[in-house]
Order: sequence, then C-alpha cells, then structure tokens
Amino acid sequence: MSKKVLNAVAFISPQNHPILIRTFAKQDDHAIKYHYIAHTSLDVIEERVAAGGKSTECYLGLLYSMEDVAVYGYITPLKVKIVIALALSDSVVRDVEVNLIFKALHMAYYSAISNPFLKLDAPTDATNDHSPYLLVGRANWKNFRRRIDEIANVVSNPSNA
Amino acid sequence: MAPAQRVLVSYSGAQAFLSSGSWDQIHTALLAQLPLRNIHWKSFSRPIRTIQELDISLVPLESLRDEHASQVPATLLEKPFLNMYLVTCEDADLETYKTTIKRQVKDWHAVVSSRKNQEWLILHVVRPDARTQGGNFFQLKGSVLDKLKGDFNTDRRDRCVQLAWNAGSQNPAVWAEFLNKLKDGLLSSFDSAISQREDEVKRSESQRQMPGWNFCTFFTLKESLAGSFQGVNLFEDALVQYDELEASFYQVLKEKNLSWFGSLITPTPNDDSSPLLSISKKPYRDLILANTISVFDFRIYLLARQCSLLAKIDGRINEVSKKAAAFLGAFGRRLSEVETLPEYFVESWIYSSALSVVDQCDTWAAGLNLQGAMLSTFNAGKGELLELARHQLDVIGVKIGHLPVRPPFSNSHHPPSSSGSATSDKKISSADILQCLQTSDAFYDIYVGITNRAIDMYAKAGRRKFALKLHGSLAALDVHRGRLAAALTTYTSLPAHYAPHMWTSLESLMLSLALDTHAELDKTRDREWIHILLSFLKTFVDTVGLDLLMHEDDRVEYVSRLVQSMKDSATVLESDLSHPEHPAISIKVASAAKLAGDKDGSFLDVVIHNNLPCVVPIDEVVALLVGRDSERLRFSAHIDGVTPGKTQATLFCPTSSAGTYILDSTEARISHLVLQWAHKKPVPGRKALSRRSSVALVRIPRDLLAMDVRLQQPNSIELGRPSSLLVAVSTGRNNIAKASIKFHVPSVTFRYSQVALTDGNTDQDTLQADDSSISVLNLSEASHLEFLIPYSDASAFHAIKVDVEVDYITVAEPSITRTLHLARVVATTLPISVNVQDFFRGNRLFSKFTVSTTSHQHVRISDAQLQFPDGGLDGLKVVACSPQARSVVTVTPAQPANFLFYLDSANGPVGESLKFRISYRMLREEVEALIETSVDQVLAQSADVLGERVELINKLVEALEQDSAWVELYGVSGELNVPDVFGELGEADEPLKRVIQSLHEHRHPHPPKGKWREIIIPVDVPYMNIVAAAGIRLLPPTSPVPMGSEHTPSLYAGQPIPALLTVHTSFHWGSSVNDTQRAYMMRFDVEEMVREWLVSGRKRGDFAAKDNATYSVPLTLIALHHGELVLPKISVTALPLAGEVTMGSMAIPNTETYQVHGAEKVLVLPRGGRSTFVLGMGSG
Repeated sequence: MSKKVLNAVAFISPQNHPILIRTFAKQDDHAIKYHYIAHTSLDVIEERVAAGGKSTECYLGLLYSMEDVAVYGYITPLKVKIVIALALSDSVVRDVEVNLIFKALHMAYYSAISNPFLKLDAPTDATNDHSPYLLVGRANWKNFRRRIDEIANVVSNPSNA
Repeated sequence: MAPAQRVLVSYSGAQAFLSSGSWDQIHTALLAQLPLRNIHWKSFSRPIRTIQELDISLVPLESLRDEHASQVPATLLEKPFLNMYLVTCEDADLETYKTTIKRQVKDWHAVVSSRKNQEWLILHVVRPDARTQGGNFFQLKGSVLDKLKGDFNTDRRDRCVQLAWNAGSQNPAVWAEFLNKLKDGLLSSFDSAISQREDEVKRSESQRQMPGWNFCTFFTLKESLAGSFQGVNLFEDALVQYDELEASFYQVLKEKNLSWFGSLITPTPNDDSSPLLSISKKPYRDLILANTISVFDFRIYLLARQCSLLAKIDGRINEVSKKAAAFLGAFGRRLSEVETLPEYFVESWIYSSALSVVDQCDTWAAGLNLQGAMLSTFNAGKGELLELARHQLDVIGVKIGHLPVRPPFSNSHHPPSSSGSATSDKKISSADILQCLQTSDAFYDIYVGITNRAIDMYAKAGRRKFALKLHGSLAALDVHRGRLAAALTTYTSLPAHYAPHMWTSLESLMLSLALDTHAELDKTRDREWIHILLSFLKTFVDTVGLDLLMHEDDRVEYVSRLVQSMKDSATVLESDLSHPEHPAISIKVASAAKLAGDKDGSFLDVVIHNNLPCVVPIDEVVALLVGRDSERLRFSAHIDGVTPGKTQATLFCPTSSAGTYILDSTEARISHLVLQWAHKKPVPGRKALSRRSSVALVRIPRDLLAMDVRLQQPNSIELGRPSSLLVAVSTGRNNIAKASIKFHVPSVTFRYSQVALTDGNTDQDTLQADDSSISVLNLSEASHLEFLIPYSDASAFHAIKVDVEVDYITVAEPSITRTLHLARVVATTLPISVNVQDFFRGNRLFSKFTVSTTSHQHVRISDAQLQFPDGGLDGLKVVACSPQARSVVTVTPAQPANFLFYLDSANGPVGESLKFRISYRMLREEVEALIETSVDQVLAQSADVLGERVELINKLVEALEQDSAWVELYGVSGELNVPDVFGELGEADEPLKRVIQSLHEHRHPHPPKGKWREIIIPVDVPYMNIVAAAGIRLLPPTSPVPMGSEHTPSLYAGQPIPALLTVHTSFHWGSSVNDTQRAYMMRFDVEEMVREWLVSGRKRGDFAAKDNATYSVPLTLIALHHGELVLPKISVTALPLAGEVTMGSMAIPNTETYQVHGAEKVLVLPRGGRSTFVLGMGSG
C-alpha cells in the first residue's frame, strides 16, 4: 500500500448527526476544518447516493478535493456515513486502497457499537429518541477512538503494520 | 497536429474528366451526401463502436504527398484511408475502355494498391439511361463495370461500384451503394491502420525498461492513436489513450525517471494567468518532441487534452471540473515545493486556472442542454473550483496581512508558507492577484466576489452545507473588516442550520463567534444576547466541552466569564425571561419529602447537577408538584450559586398537603432569567412503558399537627331541610392569625353568608363570611372549630368531592401565607335507610319502621322515636311497642332493626306528618371515640402529647382495621379486644399497653354515653278509606254456641260445618270518617282451598259497606281431611265508585283488609266410614 496521510476521519449517523470526528494532522491546530469537511461532505454524499440509485456499493469514491485534502466517502448499508480526508498528494490514489481503509473503519465502528453496555449509557431523559450509537463517539467510550487511531496510524505508516 | 482533422479520401481520374464540368457537378453532389452517418466499426479487439457522424474530405490524389514529413508518428488521418478512381465510360464504348481507360486505371491502381492501410475504390459513373441498357442479358461483350471488375477486382472484396447519375437527379438512393462501399473501405483501412498502430504502441510500451526508450516518443506514438480516434469521432477511445498515458506518466513519476522532461517548471511570463485548458497556448507537441517540455507544461497539456475530450463525450462534462480541481490541488502542492518560482506564483496559477476552467466549462456547456442532477453536479463542480480559487486568496490574504491568521482563513496559528520567493526576479501576471496584492479594498472586493460566485453555484447545485460554510467565512471577513453588525447577523442565523443535525461543534462555534462579535460590537447584552449565550452553553454542555471547536484557550475561564456576564445582564432585565430545558443544569428531586416538624410545611431534597465547569449563580430553585386534583405545591429555596457537579439543596413548601404528587416542573432562577424543565410532559409516539418511568413521584407524609380542615355530614340531619356541611377546622400547632377557607364543587354553590357555628352563636370575632369565602380569625393552637355551611342541593350524587382551599397566616410567621389545598369527599347519602310498614286495625294504626344500613358499615342506634310535630296533635296517641329499657341496637348489613309503634287516633285520619327521629352513630365513630377517651385517660398525666396522642390513636385504629374479630364481642358487651398486631411491646409502648388494657376492660355503659347523630325523617300517617276486617266463624250444628267458647264440639272430616262470614268495615282512617250515610260497594271472595275445604254457599258476592257496619253471609264448610286446618282467607275489595271518576280512570277507594281469623286453626278429627253428600251449587 502506498503511503497516504490520513488527516481526519468522520463518522456520521444516518440522521446526519456527527458520531465522531477525529483529526490526526498535527500541523492543523484547528480541527474546525475537518468539521466543515465532514459537514459539507454530506451534500456530496447525498448527491452520490441519489445518483447511484439502488446501487449497493458502499464506497462512494472521491467526493471532492479542497485546499490540501482529498475527501473520500463511504456509506454503510445502514446509512452510517464515513468520510475520510487524505492529504492531497501528487500521486495516484487507488480506489481499492481507499476502500480498504473504509472497510477497516467500518469494522471498527461495527465492533464498537456491538458493545451491549453502550445502551446503558443512553440518556433516559432524552427528549428525542436517538439511537444509542451516537454515543459511541463520546469521549467516554475510548475503545472506538483507539481503534480509529490505530487504523490511521497504519494507513499513514504502512511499514509499521 | 491541426485541430479538426478529417478523414481523407483521395480521388483521381482521367484528366479530361476531372477538368470537365460534369465532375464538378458530381463532386458537389457527392459532398452533399456527407458527412457519413451510422458507421459501425467492428474490430477484433474491442466491442462494436458506432460512429454517428463522420466528415470526410475529398482531395485529389496528386495533392497528397506520399512520404512522411517527419519521423514523428502522425495520426493515421494524415494519410487517406481510401483512394478513389472515377471512370466515365459508356458501355457502348468498350473500345475506349480497352484502349485508354484500362491503362489509366492500371497506372493508378499500381500506385494506390502499394500503399499500406489504404483501400481503393473505382467509381464508374454512368448516366441512368445507359444503365438500363446495361441490363441486357444477351449482351455478350459485357459492361465496362464487368470489365473493370474483371481487370482489377481480384479478391473477394468488391471494390468497383457504379454510380448512375445525371445532373438533374435528386434521388439519394443512387448514392446508397457507393456510400456503403465508401464506408466499408474506410473502415477496413482504419481498422488495419489502428491495429497496426496499436501493435507499435504495445511494442514500444514493452520496451520501456530498455535503455534508449523515451517516454516522449512513446507519448507521441500513443497520442497519434488518440488523435486518430478523435479524428473519427471516437472520443471515448481517444480518452482511454490519454488516460493510459496519464497512468504511464504516474508510473514514470513513481520511478522518478524524468530525464525525458525538462525541469519541473520553467515559468514563462504568463504561465500563472493563461487559461489552463487551452491546448494552443504553447507549442506543446514541439516541446514534447524536443524532450524539453517541462513537467508543468506536459501535465497541463495532458489535462487539457483529457478535458476537451470529456467535454465532447455525452454526459461526462462534469468530470472536467472535478479533474481540473484535483489536478490543481495535487499539482499545486508539488509546485509549492519549488523555490524558484515568483512570489505567489502557485496561488496565482491555481486561482487563474480555476477561474479559466469555470469559464471553459461554461463555454463547453453552452451547447449542451444540462438538466436535473447533471446540472446540479455541473454547478457544484464550478462551485468547488471557485472555492479553490477563493482558497488561494485566503493564502495570499493571510500572507500579506489582509486577513488574520486564524480560521477560517488559515488553519494554523502560523502564517502559511506561500509559494515562491520574493527574491525571484520574475513576477506573476494575473491581474486579479496583482490587484489583490496592492490594496486591501481590491482584495476584499475580489474575495467577496469570488465567494459569492461560489455560494451562488453551491446554491444552484443544492449544496447547502458548502454555502453555509462560505457564509461563515464571509462573516469572519466582516468581523475582520470591522463590519460587526453584518457579521453578527450572519453568525446568529447560522447556528440554526447546524442545530437540526446536532452538529454541535459547528453550532457552538457559530454561537461563540456570535457572542464574541456581540461583545466586540459593544451592544447591550439584551434578551437576544442571553438567548445566544444559552444556546452556546447548551452546545457546550452537550459535548461536555470536549469536542468543541473553541477558539479560546482557557475554556473554563471563558465560560465562567460568559456565565457571570449572563447573570449581570439578567439582573438588569425588566421582566422575567424563561428558557425551557436547558441542559447546563439538571435538577433531580428526591422521591419523598420530609416534614418540617416545628411548623407547617415540608422539605424536599433536590440534587442540582451543574454540567458547566464553572459556578452558576442560581438564586432560587423551585420544584413544582402537582397532585391528583390539580393541587399544586411549590417547593422553593434560595441558594447562592451552584458549583460544578452535584449540589444538594433542600426546598421548602409551607403547606401541609399530604399524598403522592407528580413532579411537574423545576425552575432555576438567575435573577430575571428563569431556566425551566418540564418533568411531566407528554411524549408523543412513545410507549406507555417508557412514559411511566419518566414520571417522578414525590410522596409527602401527613403532618398530624398541621392545620387541617375536615368536612363531614352534620350531626343532625333533618330530611326536607336544606343540606349543609359540617366543617371542622383544627389548628394543630399553629396560632392562626387569619385563615380564609373556600370550597369548590362543580354545580354546587355554598351559601357562605349562612354559615353558623355548631354551638349556635355566630361569633363575629372568630368567624366571618363574605360571598366567596369564610374567614377564621385568631384561632389559638390545638383548637378546634366546627361550623355548618349550607349548600345547594346535591342529591344527584352519592358523595360530593369538595376542593377546599385554605389560605392562612400564622402568628409566628406573619410574612408567609400558606395555602392548603385539600380534596375532601363528603357522603351526601345517609348511612341508614328507613322503611315504614303500616297496619290498620280498626281505629289503631301500627307502624313498623325498618332501619337498615346503606353501606357496609355497622350502625349503632341508641334510640328511635316517633314524635308529634311541634305543639302535638289533638286526639292522637303514639305508643312505642318495644320495651322501654331497650339498649343500643346494632344494624349490620345483614340485620336491619325494626321499631314498632302504634297510633290511636280519636279523630280519624291524621293530616300532619310525624317525625321519626333516630339517634345513631357509626360503629367506627363510636369505637374511635372510645379509643380517644381511653387514650386521653392514659395520657392525661404526660404533657405535650398532642402528636403522641394522634399517633397512638392511629395505631389502634389501624390495628382494628386489620381484623374484624372484635366486632361481635364489642357489640354485645362493649369489650374491645384490640387485635394483636403490634408484636412485642417495649418500654416505650407503655401507654399503648395501657390503652389496650383499658379498652379490654371497657363495657357498654347504660345509658349509652357519647355523641350521637340524629336523623329526623318526616313520616306521613297514611289514609285508608276502608279498613275491612273479614272473618269466618264456624257454627257447628250440634251446638248453637259459636266456636271459640270453652266447649267446642269436635269437628270431623267430611262433616258439613255451618259457618258465618263477617266483614266489618270502618271508614275511620279515610276521608269519610263518621259519615254514616257513606257507603262503598265492595266484593268479597272466599279463597278456594280445594285440598282442605269444600265451601258451600255464597263464596263470592258484592255488598254495600258502611262505616262501622258488619256484613255477614252464612256458609257451609266441609273439611276434606283431618288435621289442623287454616280457615280459607277472604279477600275484600272495593268496587269502583259509581259516577266518580278520578284522573280519567275509575276511582277505587283504597282498602285494607285483614283476616280476623288469620291466626286461627281448626282441629278436624278423622272419621271412619264413607259418606256421600249431595251439595247444592249455591243460590246463584
């Protein structure tokens, strides 16, 4: 796998609520850019999904490139959106490799929400009935974040894998 | 390579013909058939392709040079695909063909057939009329066409075609065969040429690892293939070539073998501002061939080629912007590593290129009809490009100081390293960028212009979120330029767009920016500001401040400053500002309240959870409870700020209402700002199960020493008088300064003004009444006040539910007005019911009163009297038939009590009603009173025992409620054995033990003591027109002495016994008393008793009855068997009054008949033998 730099990962719920936005780029003191990217990606994902019709393909490909990142999108069968921002480089980025990253992220999310204790943490007085899976991104569920960080580490330093 | 290269077809022919006018005509007509349409290219290596339209140019053969001008592989279109020879020779003129034409064709054929990948075609032009002649079968010599075919067309492919044409012909059909042949020929040569070229490309590609291989050469070779495809309008195949070239370029790049290129970039003056997708702006091919092209130029060329092809392919124009944007981003990064570039070169290049691509796209799209999703994507692509251009302005702006070094302009705290160096002698050329560099105003204009264009594009594309982001950046620019008001407007409107998706990070950022702008603007911190702040705090709490994109370093400090200023501004608000459901604070309420103990009221523990990292200056915490009947209790406490985390507080409510309540809402008050949380809320769409769990219940214990108001039925009830309610006010521990009591019952009105104390006097000092309430003044502690209040009839109900509202002020705490809401149920039905049965016996009337309980409770009745109305009645005497010394009677549901009286009336019927007075009490009341007195006896010596007393009484009552075994014994003897439910009694329970003992020793006193209730029921003495006493007297034949005397003769079965039937009538209780003239027609009827008696004589008859007269009829009875027999009954009925009609029906005087002999029995003895009797069937 060629070297890529994973700048940020975003998980977005089917209702378009952010689950987790994780940034890895050290030089960016402000994560806001990636929040914007994750948020704006929703527009593009929406377009892609609408254009794709009933296609069951999860990988949505390059959504757009902006400033110094290329933004890729992925939508799980249950409509959880995963967006990653790769540092823009002047080399070919193969979709297969990006798809591989997404698959790993998807699995990380999947195993994180399989935690049965997650539902215990759901606020009982919640006025609107959101799925407890939003919680998985909360800071107090560390495992998910750890796995995401591991994936990012492997992507950015394939030799360490 | 010249653009729009066409497929070449050469023509040739006899010189004389080509210079003739006839050729000109044919030429023109032929051109009119072009371009060729629907060409289907079948090749071995690809699926079938269809060329929709192909333009070809006809050129004379001589104009083509055979040799290549250079070694550079040109496109395949440089050479003709087809060579055509025109023959005009009539069939009749075969000689000419043989002599001249054949040779000419032969020469031409020799030239063209030697050429590679070129087809040839001989077109034989004839006149249409000549052609018909040619169809002659018997023409042995054959046609010119046949000759041509025979001479030249040696293989299977038919390369000779005849065109029957004359100048006037407009029929396109004549061209069909020729055009087909033309297409075939073109395709065949194209196919072979392509496959040959492809082989070359493959060969070249396979040699790439060999020394001497040159990428640029390979590129030109492969590009020629692309050019060929493009020439025949096969754009997708052409694009594939370029895409493959791009891939191999990346391969080369990866191998870092760029020796075939010049430097990465050799900037020429206008490089940064020339249109990106223009192929002609530089002599790219020459540069490539010379191996001097820079990577920069090469890649631009490749991109431009690809884009121009994409634009031509149906539905792929949208890839242009995407590809261009990706290229600009990616290659821009690479360029920024180059240090020799002029300052801002890369930014300028990306900026100009992006804008030029947008323009180019618009130009290309002008001819297309983009719609729907395609159009949206197209606009989105343009938007992205514009944003890319905008981003370059960000970089430049930050670098030269037009923009601040902070988001959204810059993502880091340090100024970005912009491309190029100021030291470079070259300068950039983009006019826009140069303007930007000069004045900040120009920069801002361009910046805003570009941003707005991008927003516009995004809006058209339906990309709201992109547009929002750009709006945010415009607001940031406004802030930087000091246009704070505009920025504030934007900032306050943006959070709403982020909120619905719970995108709290962005929402909070916008809010905090709005707050900052507000602060900078020095606007007054009004309600709007508080709302923004509260929204911000909400987002802060939602994310626990962790994921927040805060621009302040010290979050806690920042938030606490905000909270403090919120308090300040809330203080100056004129009116309360309430805000629902703020998550910064949450209040949890304990499930049970505690009694205050020394005063009326209860305490409720709450836990206030402050989710903010700083102290929240809350002044007051309030919890509102609602009861079953919309009673509301307000618990409150003043507190002094809430520290982060949990804080305990105890709320107080100065009323003594007890029971179970639902937590309705809680409030936290920060000066004028009121944060509210509704706890009991309808949750639509959720299951009942989850709703139940979401309701918080609070139990408040009963305070026995609190102010209390009880409602009862009055002790004395007289039916027929207005109902009233007995109100008992007990003050408990309170010295009441003033209490005002109100009652509410729907559909019942209380007559407050007619209130009266139960002891009779209306003491104005204690009790005052106005239209709506009753006021009680100056009531000392532990006092008890009872008064009666009349109310409108409510007999429709069994019980009325009275909402009692008491506002009272104690002497101890004159500042607190306590409000007590009580819901009391008062039975309006009586606990007992009375039935009367009347029996007339001549001048005497017996009345039997049956008293039964209406509920399940036992009722103790001490006395029942039938009383005259006040003043008595003349000539009437009432005597109770029961023994005088009757003790207390207990009425149970199973056992009613009877009271019998008789009335002697001297003067006939009684017009006025009597009163039936019952003194009663419920068993429960009696026992409770007994317990109270016992407890009082026991506790008499101990002081300050109010609470203990009540507790003790309750304990005993509860014990008695659990087991009813004591009831019977108590009813008989008065001994009250308290069921043993207390278990072991310790030292502290000494009083209880003694009370139990004293109850055990209790006997019913005689006469009964204690309070008795009274019910007075008016009783009417009934009228009876006729009272008839019917009787049968037996007159045994052996003795004239009637029966009943000492010596009664024996009666035997079968023996006829003469008897006398008498009916004595009295009008004493009727309206015609003492009227001797009055007579009623009556009928008597002797009951048939066919098993006992044969009755002979007048069994039935009418007679006229008079007051105090006796009517008699003789009968003969025969007993049918022996034994003690009852005499037959006689029914006496009055006949309808002749001539008197009442209420439209015949009036029958009411009659009561009793059997004088009803209790008599006759002993009939058996008799032997058998007798036969002949009986007359009566007189009638």
